[in-house]
Amino acid sequence: MSAQLDAEAREGLAELLLALADDEFVLGFWDSEWTGIAPILEEDVAMSSVSQDEIGHAKAWYELLADLTDDDADRIAFGREPAGYRHAALMNHARTDWAFTVARRFLYEHADATRLESLARSSYAPVAELAAKMRREETYHLLHFDVWLRRLADAGGEARDKLAAALERLWPDAQAVFAPLAGEAPLARAGILPDDLETLRRRWLERVIPILEGLALPVPPVDARPAGDGRTRRSDEFAWLHGEFTMVARSDEGATW
Amino acid sequence: MPDAAPWSPAQYAFRMSDGQKPLDRVWEVFRQEAEGDPMIHGGNVKAPDEELALHYAREFYGRRQESHRLWVVPREAIVELDDPDLLKPPFDRSFKRPGGYLIKHKLEAAKARAGAGPATPNAAEEASE
Repeated sequence: MSAQLDAEAREGLAELLLALADDEFVLGFWDSEWTGIAPILEEDVAMSSVSQDEIGHAKAWYELLADLTDDDADRIAFGREPAGYRHAALMNHARTDWAFTVARRFLYEHADATRLESLARSSYAPVAELAAKMRREETYHLLHFDVWLRRLADAGGEARDKLAAALERLWPDAQAVFAPLAGEAPLARAGILPDDLETLRRRWLERVIPILEGLALPVPPVDARPAGDGRTRRSDEFAWLHGEFTMVARSDEGATW
Repeated sequence: MPDAAPWSPAQYAFRMSDGQKPLDRVWEVFRQEAEGDPMIHGGNVKAPDEELALHYAREFYGRRQESHRLWVVPREAIVELDDPDLLKPPFDRSFKRPGGYLIKHKLEAAKARAGAGPATPNAAEEASE
């Protein structure tokens, strides 16, 4: 399959797969930090399980990328310096508090759902198949964080204030999930990316804004943009997380199970 | 409270005893491994409402694809009977058990009369249980 791609489309595809994988991977690690300290025991298990799902999705995207570039999925996941990661700026932020986590997950889950819905129609079969499979698992993630968003909003007081503040703070960086890719044009030409990323961003706004308005939560300006290009600026907070999640891999490089 | 109201989460919220926080609500979870299997009590979860109760039941009793179906029931909805006078009355009740009747030989004789030949040991055993 990959042999049929021209060099430009292949390069664009590699860029897209790395962005998809890094989004899931970094978010999965941030939220796995709730293990042991989530608001209630049941949520502790749920959040840990959801985070594991994201790491599982990242693994699938990394493996597709490794097939394409004749690389190794573990090397891609753990063998880069912080500057080499391409997750959206939304995932640059530390875990912070529960309201912040819920705000980020709400914005991200809807963005990911919008993106996967489109990618399930990709002309590149391995991407289409994987996206279709992931959509089934992400349905539950969407439900879960919609419920939490509503709960915190309806609770009023400190919970609502913290949620509103987190949404406003994260909003520009959430747009970065749809930041244009350098190789987007050849991907669109080949039908690998059935909709351009700006179209997907608009579609995402149409999903999240009515929900926020329905809960009387702030709706920041739709033309807000992250600093820089959205996927290359790396924060100190991420550098710290990188140190955590590469610790075991670095302790014995090339080790096998 | 209105009696025999149709089931609704609000109805059960109303029944919560004074001072009980929503987070203390307990939901009993029943699971079915395959279509047609009996629903078996799996355990319980705490959750403030029906929606999160379902999410948590799914995580605790279904995240490893081990369940085909879950029933999630607010504990308050369960009608309990544990009165020993009703369940373990003091008199001999052995005559209430089907095992009290030894019908194995009667069954074999009946089958022989009907020309069906001797019943297989297993079938006879089951009939006398």
